[in-house]
Amino acid sequence: MQTEADYYALFEAYQRGELAAGARASLEARLSAEPRLQQLYTEYQELMGTLAAYGERRRTRRTIAGLHEAMLAAEAAPAAEANSPLTPAVNPILRISRTERRLREFWSGHRATVGVAASVAVLAVFSTLLGLDLWRSANAPAVSGVRELRREVAQIVRSQKALIRKVDNQMGDATLPPVRTNKFSGTGFALTSDGYLVTSAHVIKGADSLLVEGRDHQRYHAETVYADKKHDLAILRIRDRDFKSFGKLPYTFKAGQVDLGERVYTLGYPREDVVYGEGALSARSGYDGDTAFYQVSIPLNPGNSGGPLLDSQGNLIGVVSSRQDDVIGAAFATKSSFLVRLVDSLKNKQAAQPYHLPRANQLAGTARAQQVKRLQDFVFVVKVYE
Amino acid sequence: MNMDSTTALAADAQLIKAIHGGDERALSQLYRLHWPMVSHFVLQNSGSEDDARDVYQEGVMVFYEKVREGSLELSCQIKTYLYAVCRRLWLKRLTTKSRLHGVRLLDEEEYGPYLNTGAEDDVQEAEERDRRFATMSEALTHLGEPCRSLLEGFYLLDKSMLELTAEHGYTNADTAKTQKYKCLTRLKKLFFASYKEA
Repeated sequence: MQTEADYYALFEAYQRGELAAGARASLEARLSAEPRLQQLYTEYQELMGTLAAYGERRRTRRTIAGLHEAMLAAEAAPAAEANSPLTPAVNPILRISRTERRLREFWSGHRATVGVAASVAVLAVFSTLLGLDLWRSANAPAVSGVRELRREVAQIVRSQKALIRKVDNQMGDATLPPVRTNKFSGTGFALTSDGYLVTSAHVIKGADSLLVEGRDHQRYHAETVYADKKHDLAILRIRDRDFKSFGKLPYTFKAGQVDLGERVYTLGYPREDVVYGEGALSARSGYDGDTAFYQVSIPLNPGNSGGPLLDSQGNLIGVVSSRQDDVIGAAFATKSSFLVRLVDSLKNKQAAQPYHLPRANQLAGTARAQQVKRLQDFVFVVKVYE
Repeated sequence: MNMDSTTALAADAQLIKAIHGGDERALSQLYRLHWPMVSHFVLQNSGSEDDARDVYQEGVMVFYEKVREGSLELSCQIKTYLYAVCRRLWLKRLTTKSRLHGVRLLDEEEYGPYLNTGAEDDVQEAEERDRRFATMSEALTHLGEPCRSLLEGFYLLDKSMLELTAEHGYTNADTAKTQKYKCLTRLKKLFFASYKEA
């Protein structure tokens, strides 16, 4: 019985053609007859083939590596020749230092990445700056930017009426119980004893019907006689037939101007009850230099609109109109001179309806509390239904 | 262009013939000719000088073995073929190296339709062969001494039996020969065991 190693020796001799003719013939015969031997031979062939190819591969690899070295040497040689002659001036391309070559390799390998990273960085920086700027300008107080302030100012001038309406709207929701169906309310006061009242034009804007309610909860229906939007004045008249008179008015209407610093006060209905507010006349012009208005330093709230503004002598000097939201303690009231002028012009136009403005002031010289006590009977809530 | 490519193809054919005949100068010429192209390509695609050398040598190896076998079917210039092979090899390395999927390569337009060169198949074939050789190398290592140097000496380095007998201190050539065949059967077992299971 032959071992595998013996067969390998046999196969090798067979392949190298070292077998005698007889032995070769007998092996070939056995190979074609015995599958086991045939398989052994196939394996032998595969193994030897692979071994030979492996040897070949190792040689080739060495050859090719040698080629690379030779190529590099060939590249370096002319460079060395070029350097060696008398000309010390060297070709800058050939004199690339090791570090620089590394850098160049790095650059050529990563320039796309570097480019993308750089653009991302630039983009991030600028968007951050822009975002910060936007954020800061959004949070900055309005005073900080001159332009912005001006724009805001212009906007307020344009939408003064709208602003007032909005303010009244808020008030209507907040101060009145939901049972009541009126949308807005303001304050009004008696103009004559026979049923004329004064309020602000913006209070009755868009009104469908008006209800006037006094401190004693006596209600009257009222109608608009005239509305002067420019000066924010409106004149109403009580419609009810059973209405007789308010009684004798204790105050008079001042036709002239009032001096700065004059102590002034007002009564109004910013909530259910009548509210007293006092302060001083702080400027003789209103918003944006409007000379039809005074600026007063009375804390006013929505609902105060249309209220009477009186001086310490009990002269009616103005009609409360609006306040400026971004300035503390700045409220505006229409000057009474404009009210007097308006009444005069109405007298001429509607001769049939006489206006009997009060002539005698009963408040002058009395204490403030006394004045207020008398005054409050002539101040009303004006409720607006749309 | 047409003229150029025809003359280039003629030059290529001559070169291939010379390499097939075992002319080392021709191989050296070929190697030097296309090195700049491949090195530029690899450097361009985030590889180093060493990467370029490895890839190029691998690529030339694929080409060379195909030529030596006489099984190279070239449908384009050698330049394009080499470019395609090296591109394929580098792409493979990149994908295994960086776990990024979908590596995109910057290609040189001038090397044209590298997709129809048959390089894909050749590279695949070369990989299969590489695996076989790796198994063989491993089997030889596992074989241990003195079997390994005995077999390597006889089959790979073409040393005579007498030399090997002296080297390994066998009493005579016959003992060495018997030993060699025993080693061969062991190598067979090792090789087929790991090659089949892989």
